[in-house]
Parts: sequence; C-alpha cells; structure tokens
Amino acid sequence: MSLYNFKKIMVVPPAKDFIDIMLSKTQRKTPTVVHKGYKISRIRAFYTRKVKFTQQNFHDRLSQIIQDFPKLDDVHPFYADLMNVLYDKDHYKLALGQLNTARHLIDNVGKDYVRLLKYGDSLYRCKQLKKAALGRMATIMKRQASNLTYLEQVRQHLSRLPTIDPYSRTIIICGFPNVGKSSFINKITRADVEVQPYAFTTKSLYVGHTDYKYLRWQVIDTPGILDHPLEERNVIEMQAITALAHLRSCVLYFMDISEQCGHSLEEQIKLFESIKPLFTNKPLILAINKIDILGLEDLPAEKRQVIEKLQEDKNVPVLFLSTVSEAGVMELKMEACERLLSYRVDQKMRTKKVDNILNRLHVAMPAPRDDKVRAPCIPEQALARLEKNAAKAERKRKLEKEIEEEMGDDYTLDLQKNYTEIAEEERYDVIPEFWEGHNIADYIDPDIFEKLEELERAEGIREEGGVYDIPDMTMDETLKEIREMAKKIRLKRFMLRDEKRLQPRKNKPIIPRHKQPKVRDRSVGKLVETMENLGVDMSGSENANFTKSVVDLRRGQIAVGTKKELKKPLLDKESSAIVKKTGQPLKRKPARDTMGIKNVAMKKKAQIMAKKDIAKKVTRLGLKGEADRFIGTKMPKHLYAGKRGSGTADRR
Amino acid sequence: MPQNEYMERHRKLYGRRLDYEERKRKREARLPKERARKARKLRGIKAKIFNKERRNEKIQIKKKIQSHQEKKITKQLKDVEEGAIPHYLMDRGTQSSAKVLSNMIKQKRKEKCGKWDVPIPKIRAQSDMEVFKVLKTGKSKRKSWKRMVTKVTFVGENFTRKPPKFERFVRPMALRMKTAHVTHPELKATFQLPIIGVKKNPSSPMYTSLGVVTKGTVLEVNISELGLVTQSGKVVWGKYAQVTNNPENDGVINAVLLV
Repeated sequence: MSLYNFKKIMVVPPAKDFIDIMLSKTQRKTPTVVHKGYKISRIRAFYTRKVKFTQQNFHDRLSQIIQDFPKLDDVHPFYADLMNVLYDKDHYKLALGQLNTARHLIDNVGKDYVRLLKYGDSLYRCKQLKKAALGRMATIMKRQASNLTYLEQVRQHLSRLPTIDPYSRTIIICGFPNVGKSSFINKITRADVEVQPYAFTTKSLYVGHTDYKYLRWQVIDTPGILDHPLEERNVIEMQAITALAHLRSCVLYFMDISEQCGHSLEEQIKLFESIKPLFTNKPLILAINKIDILGLEDLPAEKRQVIEKLQEDKNVPVLFLSTVSEAGVMELKMEACERLLSYRVDQKMRTKKVDNILNRLHVAMPAPRDDKVRAPCIPEQALARLEKNAAKAERKRKLEKEIEEEMGDDYTLDLQKNYTEIAEEERYDVIPEFWEGHNIADYIDPDIFEKLEELERAEGIREEGGVYDIPDMTMDETLKEIREMAKKIRLKRFMLRDEKRLQPRKNKPIIPRHKQPKVRDRSVGKLVETMENLGVDMSGSENANFTKSVVDLRRGQIAVGTKKELKKPLLDKESSAIVKKTGQPLKRKPARDTMGIKNVAMKKKAQIMAKKDIAKKVTRLGLKGEADRFIGTKMPKHLYAGKRGSGTADRR
Repeated sequence: MPQNEYMERHRKLYGRRLDYEERKRKREARLPKERARKARKLRGIKAKIFNKERRNEKIQIKKKIQSHQEKKITKQLKDVEEGAIPHYLMDRGTQSSAKVLSNMIKQKRKEKCGKWDVPIPKIRAQSDMEVFKVLKTGKSKRKSWKRMVTKVTFVGENFTRKPPKFERFVRPMALRMKTAHVTHPELKATFQLPIIGVKKNPSSPMYTSLGVVTKGTVLEVNISELGLVTQSGKVVWGKYAQVTNNPENDGVINAVLLV
C-alpha cells in the first residue's frame, strides 16, 4: 500500500561484527585443506579463491547497505526533508559516500593481491599474501566503524517512522502544544497517541486512519509548534513544519478557547497568522477546542470579538468542539473530509488526465433515427425448440418429493400406486392371488392346522413324561470332599510344575525316590556276624587288627565300626603324614567360610545367603557361574583408537 | 499501528513482565559461569582470541579498581625540592652545561660511525635461485637463458623494455612498486612516499642494478612532502630508507628513514 518501505532495510552490523561475519564466512565457504606438496598452481588457486571470495563478500554486503538506504534525491520531498531534519542530510550522505569509497578500496586491494598471488612461488608466500590481503580489507572496514554505527541508528529510527503515504487523502492536525491535537486523533482514529497534561508530549509525527464515505483517510498528528522564527525551531517542531509544507492535505488548526495550554487566544491567532504561508492552496479549518471548559458565551467581550473576527473569513470555517465531551468531533471530521474531497476532485478536474477518465465513463444513448421497428431477430427453429422443451417439461411425471411438498403433513409414502401392471383393485392387497403365473392357493396345505395340532400334542406328552427335566445335580458329603481334594491336588500339581519349570536345571542325575542309595555293606560288625554264622568263634577279637581304624592315604581317615567319637576331620596327604609322624592333632586355622560361625543353624543360613548372592551376581553380569572370570575383549578398538578432542575422555 | 517510540510507550502503560528484574539479575549472575564454561570448551584459534579479549578486559577491570582505591589513600605531601619550577615553565628549563656537552659527544660518535649505520645491519643473503625463476624459451622450450624476477622490484619511470629477444631479465608488472611506507623514527609517524631509486641491495650488486627490493635494501625516497629542511634552509627531497619487511610476502614496502 505504502510507497516507501523503510522497514526492510537490512541490519547494519558494527565494524567488528562486520569483519567477523566476513572472515568466518570465508572460512566456512572456501576449502580449508592445502599442503605444501601440492602443485604450486593449485596452492595459488586455493589462496586466490580465498582473497577473491572475501573481497566479493565485502563488496556485496556494502552494496546491499548502500542500496537499501533511501537516496534523498529519489524519495518524496516530504521524506527527504524529514530525514534531513532528523538525521542531518550531510552526515547521511557522507556516511553512505564513505561506505562507497571503502567498497572501492576493498575491490582494489583484492585485485592487487590476486595479481601478486600469481607470482607466489611457495605455500608460505601465498599464505602470507592472503593474510595481508584479508588484513588490509579488515582495516579498511575498521575505519568505517563510526559510519556503520550511525547508519544502524538511522535504520532503527527509520523503521519506526510511521508509514505516511504522501499522495493519499491526508488531514493534518497542528497548533500550539497542549491544545488537544492528540486527543482529537485518538477520538477519530485507532492511533494510540500518548496524551499528557504537559507541553510536547508528542515528540514526533503520528499517523492514524479513519473511514469516511467508504474511503480511507490518513490523519497526521504533529508535535506542537511555538511561535518563533524558522531558524530557532528545534527538531520536534521542524517535523510538524515539514509535514505541513510538503503534504497536500486538509489542515486543522487547533486552538484552545480556555487558554489552559498556557497561551492566550491572541498568541494562538498570531501563530496562525505567522505560519499561514504553509496553508496556502490547502483546505483549512479552524478548530476551537475545549468548549466544555469555557463556552463561547462565557468569554469576555474582547475575546469573543477576536473569535468573531475570525468567523468573518468565509474560506476558513471555524468549528467548535470538545474532545472530552465529544461535542463537535464528528462534525469537524466530516467537514474536513468533505472539504478535502471536494478540493481533490477540483484539483483532478484541472489536470489533463481528467479527459481520459471522463471518456472512459461515457455511456452511449443513441436517439432513434426513424420510425422503423428494429425488433430482435429470433430464428423459427429456435422458437420451435423452445416450445418442444416446454411440452416435455409439462409431460413429466410428478415426483414424490413434489407431492410431498404439496400435501405437507398429510403425505404418506405410497409406492404401490405405481404398480401399473397389477389390476387396480388388487394393487393394495398384502398377498397377491397370483404370483409369477402360479395360483398361490394351489400351494397351501389344507390340513396344515391339524398337523400342527398333532405335533403340539406329542410335544405336550413328552413334556409331561419329564424328557426335558433337568437331572438332579445335588451331591452328597463324600463326593464333595473328594472334589475339594482333587481340586487342591490339581492346584498343587500345577504349582509344582511351574516351580520346576522356574528352577534352574541341575546338570546332575537325580536319584529317583524309590531307589535306595547303595550302602557299603562291608563293615566290622557284618564280618563278625557272617563269620559267627559260619561257625567261626570271633570272641576275643576286640583288639584284632581289623577293628582298628585305618588311615587310608588316598581317602583319608575312614571310621571303622560304629565308634562315633573317633570321627575326625578328613586330612589330606601331607597333613595326615604330619599327624602320623608327630601323633599330635593338627592345629590349623578354620576355613574362611566357617570362621565366626557359631552353630549349625547359622552355618546353614550363611550358606543360603551366599548362594543367593552368588546367583544374583551371576545373573546380573551374565556369567556362566561363580567362577566365570571371562572378559570378552580386553581393549575394544573404538575406545582406544583415534585422537581425543575437547572435553573429557570418560565417555570412552 | 506501532510507530515511533512504541516500545517505551507500551512499557510506560503496562510495565515490564513481573519477573523481569529477577530474570535479569539471574541472567547476569549466570554470565560468569557461562563464560567459564565457554573458556573451558574452546580450543585453537577461538580460544586464543577469547583469552586475549578476556585478558584485556581484566586489565581494564584491575586498572579501574586500582584507580578507585587510589582515591581512598591519603597521600603525604613531599617536601618541595630546591630549584623546582612550576610546570608551565618546564619547557624553558635552563639546560645545564653538562648535558650540552654529553649531547655533543653523542652526536660526534654518531657521525664517526659512518653513513651506513642502518637499523637492520645483518641481512639474510638472497640467492639467485630464490630471486630468479628460469623461463624456458624457444620453439621447443629448450633454451633457458631468460630469468624472471620473483621479488618486488622498483623500475624507474624512464625504463623502456628491450625487444624480447634481448631481454634477459623480466620484471613482472604485478611486482613493480612505486611507493613505500616510510617511518620517521623520531617523529614516530609513517608516510607513504614515492621511491626515487634503489640505492643498494646488500645481497648482490646485480640486484641493485635490477632494482630488486628485499628486506634490508636501502631505498632512496622522495620526502619533499614532509617539508624537512637542511641547516642551510633548503628543502630536503631525497633521503635513504631501509626496507624492514619482506615486500614479496606483504604486498607493500615498509621502510624506516635513515636520519
């Protein structure tokens, strides 16, 4: 919509960032690996590319900046003047000009160093040249630091300027500070301008839009103007002056009748007279504000005279309003819009282009040249076809839908009336007498009811006989008990089976319960018995050799006979030899797994605990058993090979 | 439509979010930790740049702290020395005769040392291999009597080329330079001055005649722009300067004026 878009200017980075951006871009987007063993032409190309790339980037970015910023000579004079007021034209032009020279300088540096690189005869020399080239480019940019920061500030301010279309319908509000300009714009548009009871609350131009006669009207609120010569005006006032001077618009000069703004009516009129040259050739309205505080009737006579004098001028209407009570606000707006619209139409009518528009609007209304009738010609065939179509439309059967619409609530769906092949009196029968050429009566059994009765009778007899009775399901006590037990057994069996399944399988053969373990049947008692049975006198053999306990070197000590007290811990070869030699019992530390264990119960408990712990460890580590010490790969390659970068090595 | 100082206006009307101050404080408190984390993580050139910046910052901080502390210290006034003068009379200070004498002796010693007392007395010799590149010529590129100078050269304005057939030494256009950045050691200022000629290349007299400029070469430069005056009042326009850099590596000639 708007002519100028100052919001799209790219960000201007500060010099340091600018250089960083460019150099890192070079680093990212050009190859980075070169070796001195490469052919010299390749090395040269590598570094030439870097220099050229950087130069081109600098060039592009600077061109972008120079292009983005509006040229003061090209923009509308309103914007040119506003920018001059806000940013100082000379400074602005100088900054852009210096960027332009910097661009040229960088181009030249790039060109020079590319030429020098052509004669580089070693990697070192090429690298030094590249370094020097980039360094010089960076230095050139560094000198532009102040320009870049200035332009960035200008950009930010420009992007926040209100978008004012200098060619569209515009209403400008002006006057002394604090006379109610901003309150008025807040009333008629949606612009949210700050209103405060002190002078110069509005420090810059504000724009709002309003509707009138289906057209869009641009309303501009200006900062207050004081009555002094142009040279003494500050930046804030100058913005208002710029808007007044350059925009073709309707001007509303606001006055404060109550003089609460701190300026008397005479002063306000004096200002009006002094800035009158800015209003020439523009529709102008005098708006007298704050009538809710002080009406025209309450004014002292001399002041009223002043206003009446103003009212004499017929070209400048004087309107009274109050932004607080909203009296006269809409009237003022409509008056302003009407005046501007008529003024603009008037202006347009004076230009050359108006003929074109008027020509386009012309509608020819030919006058009849004679009395001859010139009726439209319709061919006969077409007429015939029209008639035929009409007949066809007539003949069409009424649709069910149409019938329904006609009858309304009384309608019932009746499809049988369309069964034209059935005679009319039979059409509504439930069952037809004839169906597909067969008489339906032929197929009806005459005795059917008798047969049915007979069947029912038979059924009744059976029912009485108790065929369908439910057999008695009551159980006596014993049967119940048996059932109960069976249930328990079944449950127990299931449990056992499940437990068995869950248990780890033992790799040992299990002795079935019915098999007795083999017991050694050789014993002293048995020997004596058998001998006695055979008739050998065994008396006096109490001290015979065979009754003595024997130390089997291989098996350890075996108790012979039933002497329980002789039972001693088994000893190995050496220990037994020592015992034999010395005749003393062996003194030895107890095994570690029995140390500190007081009794059997404790020992058992310890064993169970150990077993559980071991099982846990085995399952957790996925070992084969307690003694599994397997380590798969001692040094996995991926954990030990390769260079270590930044950070810690604990991940490895 | 947001226009002009709309952000400030919004802030004025609705204020900042309620935890703004707290968030800000926390962010600031987090900053040193984040920086430390970054310092630990960075490697290579980035770490170097970062550390350099950090060092400079710290120096500034320390200076500031020191300056604040100085204010607190009450200085004891020293007794004024005898013969002390106010600072606005400092320049006019009467030179003691001893100082004049010592200055004279120093001056004389300097003169005795001879004209070629140069800032860079020892120079790496440049071999022919380095300076010249053999150009193969002839229809079948069999001949190799032509040489191309691969160092920066100064070629006088009135030089005209010989016909290519007789031209033994080629001095490429890209490597010809006409100006040098000359530093005046006493003024501590650098000027870009036009070169008048190559006085001496210490590596070889042939280089001198060819105008090869390498590190340590003595150039004659035009200093008329500086407006130096001789004792008799004439403007000096030619003076010697010694090259202090490797022009073929830097693309510019830096030199120091011999005074």
